[in-house]
Amino acid sequence: MTTGYPLLRSLQISFYNWSVVPTQVSKFIGLDNYIRALGDEQFWTGMVNAAVYLLLTVPATVAIGLFFATLLHARMPARALFRVLFYIPVVTSWVVVSLLFKYLFTTNDGAVNWFLTDFLHLTSESIPWLEQRWTALIAISALGVWKSVGWCLVVFLAALSGVREELYEAAALDGANAWQRFLHVTVPGIRGTLLFVLVLQVIGAFNVFPSVLLMTNGGPAGSTEVPLTYMYKQAFSFLDFGYGSAMSFILAIFIFVISFLQFRFFGEKKEVGS
Amino acid sequence: MRAHPGWAVVRFIVVAVGAVFMIAPFLIMISTSLEPNTSILPSPPHFFPQEVTLDNYVRAITENNFGGYFLNSLFVSVATTVATVAISAMTAFAFARFDFRFKNVVFSLLLAGLMIPGIVIIVPQFILAKNLGMVDSLWGLVFFYTAGQIAFTTFLLRAFFERVPHELDEAMTVDGAGIVRKFVGLYIPLARPALATAAVFSFLGGWDEYVWALTVITDPLKRTLPLGIAAFQGAHTTAWGLVFAASVVAVLPVVIVYVAGQKHFIAGIAAGAVK
Amino acid sequence: MKRTAVLLPAVALAIAMGLSGCDIGGSAAPAADVEQLAPGADVTGSIIFWHGYGEDGAEVKTLTDVVIPAFEKLHPGVTVTPVQIPPGDMHQKLVTAAAAGSLPDIIRADIVTVPELAKLGTLVPLSQAMPDFQDFADTMYPGPLETNRYGDDYWGLPLDTNTKVVIYSEQGLEADGLDAVPATLDELKDAAENSKDGTYAFAEGGAGGWNLLPYIWSNGGDITDPDYTTADGYLNGPKSVEAIQMLVDLYKDGKLPGIILGGTGTGTWDGVPSGEYVSMVDGPWAMPVLQGAHPEVDFKTAPMFSGDGGSIGVVGGEDLVLTSQSENKPLAAEFLRYMLSKDAQLAMGEVGQLSAQSTLADDMSNLQPYYADFLTQLETAKPRPVTPQWAKIDDIFAKQIQLAFQGTISVQDALDEAVAQIDPLLAQG
Repeated sequence: MTTGYPLLRSLQISFYNWSVVPTQVSKFIGLDNYIRALGDEQFWTGMVNAAVYLLLTVPATVAIGLFFATLLHARMPARALFRVLFYIPVVTSWVVVSLLFKYLFTTNDGAVNWFLTDFLHLTSESIPWLEQRWTALIAISALGVWKSVGWCLVVFLAALSGVREELYEAAALDGANAWQRFLHVTVPGIRGTLLFVLVLQVIGAFNVFPSVLLMTNGGPAGSTEVPLTYMYKQAFSFLDFGYGSAMSFILAIFIFVISFLQFRFFGEKKEVGS
Repeated sequence: MRAHPGWAVVRFIVVAVGAVFMIAPFLIMISTSLEPNTSILPSPPHFFPQEVTLDNYVRAITENNFGGYFLNSLFVSVATTVATVAISAMTAFAFARFDFRFKNVVFSLLLAGLMIPGIVIIVPQFILAKNLGMVDSLWGLVFFYTAGQIAFTTFLLRAFFERVPHELDEAMTVDGAGIVRKFVGLYIPLARPALATAAVFSFLGGWDEYVWALTVITDPLKRTLPLGIAAFQGAHTTAWGLVFAASVVAVLPVVIVYVAGQKHFIAGIAAGAVK
Repeated sequence: MKRTAVLLPAVALAIAMGLSGCDIGGSAAPAADVEQLAPGADVTGSIIFWHGYGEDGAEVKTLTDVVIPAFEKLHPGVTVTPVQIPPGDMHQKLVTAAAAGSLPDIIRADIVTVPELAKLGTLVPLSQAMPDFQDFADTMYPGPLETNRYGDDYWGLPLDTNTKVVIYSEQGLEADGLDAVPATLDELKDAAENSKDGTYAFAEGGAGGWNLLPYIWSNGGDITDPDYTTADGYLNGPKSVEAIQMLVDLYKDGKLPGIILGGTGTGTWDGVPSGEYVSMVDGPWAMPVLQGAHPEVDFKTAPMFSGDGGSIGVVGGEDLVLTSQSENKPLAAEFLRYMLSKDAQLAMGEVGQLSAQSTLADDMSNLQPYYADFLTQLETAKPRPVTPQWAKIDDIFAKQIQLAFQGTISVQDALDEAVAQIDPLLAQG
């Protein structure tokens, strides 16, 4: 229970105006940290941003990951190479790719603006990606999708290998087209994995951290702060571990409820389907 | 399966375009790692180096005990992978095939562990590690990494074990097979793709982890690779070519592990076909 | 699963409530007599030294291959183990180590973290412990020395320092049709307003105190009173507002690049060599990098743009601090003294580290001609408010000013709001 003890300890800390060093008094303040968090505008801005990030990344990541997994599951030239190429973003360190993406989304002469203006001619003005809230969240989400697609792909590939070929053949005999086969054979066949991926992606989205810290550090004016960057700032920059812990438990309860709903809605159907 | 004649070509092009997007940022990284004077990143970025030098790679590998960090990371990742996959396979098997009291409670607890942001509990966790004598120790890293990954890996494997057809399980029971024989003779072989996936992620988790290693490792001789790479970043200036070169080298072992894992994905398909 | 799932947090909550309910900690014995650390004591044993020098630079090599061996030679049998901590993560590492009581003997700490560590009770008050403290203090520039003050004591001594000056190039001036780099804030405003399309008279890479305080100070404003007790009448005073207003106006007219709100992976450094930015305000570390990457450009330095307050830079750098948990304080103190010796300071000066001792100014300038302007600027450079609350204050400062840049609120309102949030923090000390 290497996480259990620290967890309980953090829970305890969240009821204190906790002093970092044990030699100084930590004052018990009950639920004050929780009440403060619920009324903290910045915390809720962070929650909204995390929700936006979730909506921008999770459906896209899962869909793209599943799409390419389906394509790469079947035999094709250079399949092994492609699988590796899709996996490379997953294995590159978050710190390095976050700084890399910050560089790509640079306003003047950044690679993304070059691609949009000079290559696709979608716009003539450079977009100040990281200088404003919503475009910055899009940039951070782009990194999130790019980094996680390969992860989904790998899990789905493993899951697809367990779907029995006979089922596809049977469906094909029944005259089902590719989309129908996908919907009626593939999806039920990998439902458990799909749930697993969804739950973990949602947890991951609420826990988005290094990319935001390094690309915008929550700015400008705190508008792109997410729960973890704000907690980190409170705990490690401002040494308010009590407050940071309280927020992390509010976030955890939130995630727990959402995960529970996911199990409820996606998990139940598993029994119905099989 | 009936395949449209052009379908294979379309599919190939779509996958290739996707792969280009996946790899483009990485190309910039490689390109920068091959250029001199990279404390100022060029804008616009270079997809291909304008002046090629291997200097960054030579420096990354020869300076600051890179080889030692590499071996440390290899040890930690391999040990973590073995421990995590072995333990998780058993726990996942238990969750998938047995009913026991508080099963759902235990499983929810396991999942809850994944939901609490790790960053805030790092201080109590560090104090625990210190009391357990696991600070500045590679075994300590293995212990905490394994503990941290079991929940995720169990969750991953459970979905696969649950899919093993009950008929096969029952057939083995009729043959008089005990739990151990079923686990080793039926579940493990059928879940090979999943176990390979778990191993690939577990290895990556140990290989990539930074924050915890930063917290518990102080002795320069015990640094893992991410710590070694971070050490290349200066207070005011960072030679990006050096950081990127080190990162490119660091990616290689994980790719090798992944390629090795792939063989088992395919083996898994074969196993499925036998059924 | 459903009911138990809901029950779980409640159970955990109950456990924690049971665990708690009253104040904890506070075992610290009231500060007994501070251990005296006299110079020239007979030292033995070993100490650990944490520093944040980047491993890609020459500083680490000089430290481990030259400076520390020289010290160990002076005191046969002693060992100093240097440990490099990535500078970006130094603060986090210090915080966790402080919590677990595993700090090293001596630390090269960023100047802004010294009051915070002192407040936590983790440091030795050097002004009490070192009989020769004042001798060292007398050699220092006032700004860097000030960063060590918390309460009535000094908790560290400046190991190295830096400040920011104006960095520009002749080619950049020419491209924008300027004869000389602006010397005053008025000239800067003028040059910025009349800059050619696609070029900017100057660029700033952020909105925190490190970036914007020099403009406020040089314009005659300030962020707090000299004793750091209130920001009211200082940060929201007319001179401070005027300085920020000038920047905000330029930004809104498109005459100040948007990177002041973030948004670049390259900072201001790519724009100066290319001539896009005529000038920037930056530290000494920029010079070797710029010159190395662009040998064809002639980079020059000039004092910070001046105004009613003069030409005032901001103090950066690191202090050496001794930890109260160290079991070998005499050796740590002796090592600290050695690090501040002329030998060690010159050795580090050769690889880019500027000494905080004004008595070494000439030696420093001899090492590197470009040091000269930085050293002159240091004579009047001011530290960011020396208080354990600085991290929070800086966050509030940057956030409110960014809101003003975004046009959400007026500069006066932003700074009034900042003052309202900062003053309670200053009152806590």
